[in-house]
Amino acid sequence: MTGSTTITRDELAHLIRLRAVRMIATHGFGYLGQALSSAELFGSLFADHYVHERDDLIVSPGHYIIAAFAAAPELGLLDEAELTTYGEDGSRLEAIGTEKSPVVDLVCGSLGTGLSGAVGFALSNRLKGLTDARTFALVSDGELEEGQLWEAAMFAAHNQLSNIVVLLDANDSQVDGPVSSITTIEPIADKFESFGWAAFDVDGHDSDAVTAAIAAAIDDPRPGVVIGRTSTIHGLDVLPPDADGHFIKLPADLAAAAIAELEARRG
Amino acid sequence: MASRVYPTTLKPYGQALVDVARDRDDILCLTGDLTRQCEIDLFQEAYPERFIHAGMAEANMMSMAGALARRGHIPFVHTFGVFATRRPLDQIINSIAYPNLPVRIVGFMPGVSSPGGPSHQAIDDVALMRSIPNMTVVDVADATETRQALEAIVDVKGPVYLRLKRGEIPVIFGDDHDFRLDRAQVIRGGRDLVIVASGMLVSAAIAAAETLVAAGIDTAVVNVPVVKPLDTRTLLDTFAGARGVVTAENHLVTGGLGSAVAETLAEAGLGIPLRRIGLQDTFAEGAKSAPSLFAKYGLGTVDIVGAAWELVGNGTPAPAVEVPDLAEGEYAPV
Repeated sequence: MTGSTTITRDELAHLIRLRAVRMIATHGFGYLGQALSSAELFGSLFADHYVHERDDLIVSPGHYIIAAFAAAPELGLLDEAELTTYGEDGSRLEAIGTEKSPVVDLVCGSLGTGLSGAVGFALSNRLKGLTDARTFALVSDGELEEGQLWEAAMFAAHNQLSNIVVLLDANDSQVDGPVSSITTIEPIADKFESFGWAAFDVDGHDSDAVTAAIAAAIDDPRPGVVIGRTSTIHGLDVLPPDADGHFIKLPADLAAAAIAELEARRG
Repeated sequence: MASRVYPTTLKPYGQALVDVARDRDDILCLTGDLTRQCEIDLFQEAYPERFIHAGMAEANMMSMAGALARRGHIPFVHTFGVFATRRPLDQIINSIAYPNLPVRIVGFMPGVSSPGGPSHQAIDDVALMRSIPNMTVVDVADATETRQALEAIVDVKGPVYLRLKRGEIPVIFGDDHDFRLDRAQVIRGGRDLVIVASGMLVSAAIAAAETLVAAGIDTAVVNVPVVKPLDTRTLLDTFAGARGVVTAENHLVTGGLGSAVAETLAEAGLGIPLRRIGLQDTFAEGAKSAPSLFAKYGLGTVDIVGAAWELVGNGTPAPAVEVPDLAEGEYAPV
C-alpha cells in the first residue's frame, strides 16, 4: 500500500461525502450522487494506491470531479478553503470538469472518452520507459453505452497496457433512470474479460474489498477493471430513497440534516 | 490556350514525414487502418517503435492522440479525410482542440478526388475543421507545398488539420516556392479579377487565369493553402480595385474557402461581386474516375472561367478552355 496520504480510506470516503454535501449545499442541487457512490472507490485509491508524482489520474465522467476535489486537500493538491468556490462563477472548480480543473491529469465532459486518454498516457509511459507509473481511470457504468470505450478497451488489451486500472462506478444511474432500465450492459465483468482484461467485481462501498481489488488489478499482467457495485444515495440516510442520483436536489433544510448526519457519524 | 500539364510524384508526404521525424523523437505516427494509402508505410519501416496501429477506431485514435500530446509527443494521425473529421468530431473538439494540443490530423483524399462515393468523399472536412477554435487548417496544392507545409506545421502550438491528395501528386511549384503558415501567396497579379484557390483547384485557377488573360482580363491568382487562420491582408490588398472575385475549392462552397473569402469581403465592405466554385450544397456520387466528377460537379477550369466571365464578360460568350491530352504520370486540372 503506497498511497500518498496518511488518512485511512474510510476517513477519506467520509470526508468526500461531507465536503460534497457542503459544496452543493450552497447551490441547492448538484452532482452529489456521484460523490456518494464513488466515495469508497476514490478513498481506497487515494489512501492506499495512488501516488501523485508517479501515477496518472483520469476522471472520465466530468461530473465526478466533485469527488476528486473533495479528497484533494488530503492529497495536498488543493486548499480546503477553495472548495467553497465549487461551481461558482469564475471558479476553476467547475461543476463539470474542464481543462481548468486541478487535481487530475485529465477529466472529460464528453462521456466515454476518458479510457482513450488512459490508453494515451499508458502508451506514453511505455515509450518513455516509465515502467512504475500506473494509469488510474474512474469510469462510470453509463459510459459503457459509448462505443469509444470499447475501442479503447480493445486497444489497451491488444497492446498489453497492463498498467491501466479502471475503477468502474457501477451505480446503475444515468440521466433517464437506472442504467439497467435503459440498456443491458451486464455482464460487465464478462465483457471486460472477453476483451482481454482482468475484472474484479466487488461491493463498491466495502473499502477493504475495493482496495484489495485494486491491488489485484495492479498485479495482473492484463489491464484491470475494478467494478464497484454502488448506490448514489449510499452513506446519507436523510436522502429520500427516490432521489435522482444523477442530479440530487438538496434544499437548505435537507442540506442541514445531511451535514448533521455526516458530522455525527464522524464523531 | 491549353491548360498546363504537370509531372507527378509518389509519396511526397510519406517521405517528408520520415525526413522530418529523423531527428525528432517526439513525432509519433498513428494510422486508422490506412497505412499505405496515407503513405506512412515509409514511416512504419523507418521508425517502427514510433508507429501505432489504432485500427478502425477513429474516436479512440483521436482521444488517445490528445493524451499523447499532453505528454509531449507530437502525434501525426492518419486516415481518409471523411473518417478523420466526421466520425471523431467530438473527440477532435474535446480531446484535442479545446485543450489546444499539438496533434496533426492528416486527412487524405479530399473532395471528389475519390470516385468512391459520398461515404469516401471529404466535401465538408474544411468546414468542420475551420469551425473549431484553435485549429489550423491547411489544404495543399502539390508535392512541393506538401513537404513545405509539413515542415511548417511540426511545431505549431495547437492542432492542425492537413488535407492531402492521395496517389499521384502533381508538382506545380518549384523549389523557390515559399509556403508560410501566415501568408497567402499571390501566384500572379492582376487588376480586373481575382481568383482565390486552395488545394486541388489551384492548378485549375492558374489555367483559368491564363485563358482569361488571353481574353483581355487582367487576372490575379491567390493560392490560399492555409484556410485558417486566413491571411486576409494579402487577400484585401489583391482585391483592391477588382471588378470580381472567384473562389475555387475541392469542397462544398459553404464553410470552407469560399465562405472565408465571403466573410472577408463583407467585413471589409468592399462590395465586390463574388462567385464560389465548388460543390453547391450537394453530395457527389460514386464514379469510375475522379476527373469525371470534377467535371460533373463544376470544379473545372471551364467553370472558373465561366464564373469569372459572369462578373467581367459584359454579356459576351466566355472564352473556350482547351483540355490537354495527358501522358502516363502527368497531371492537369479538368
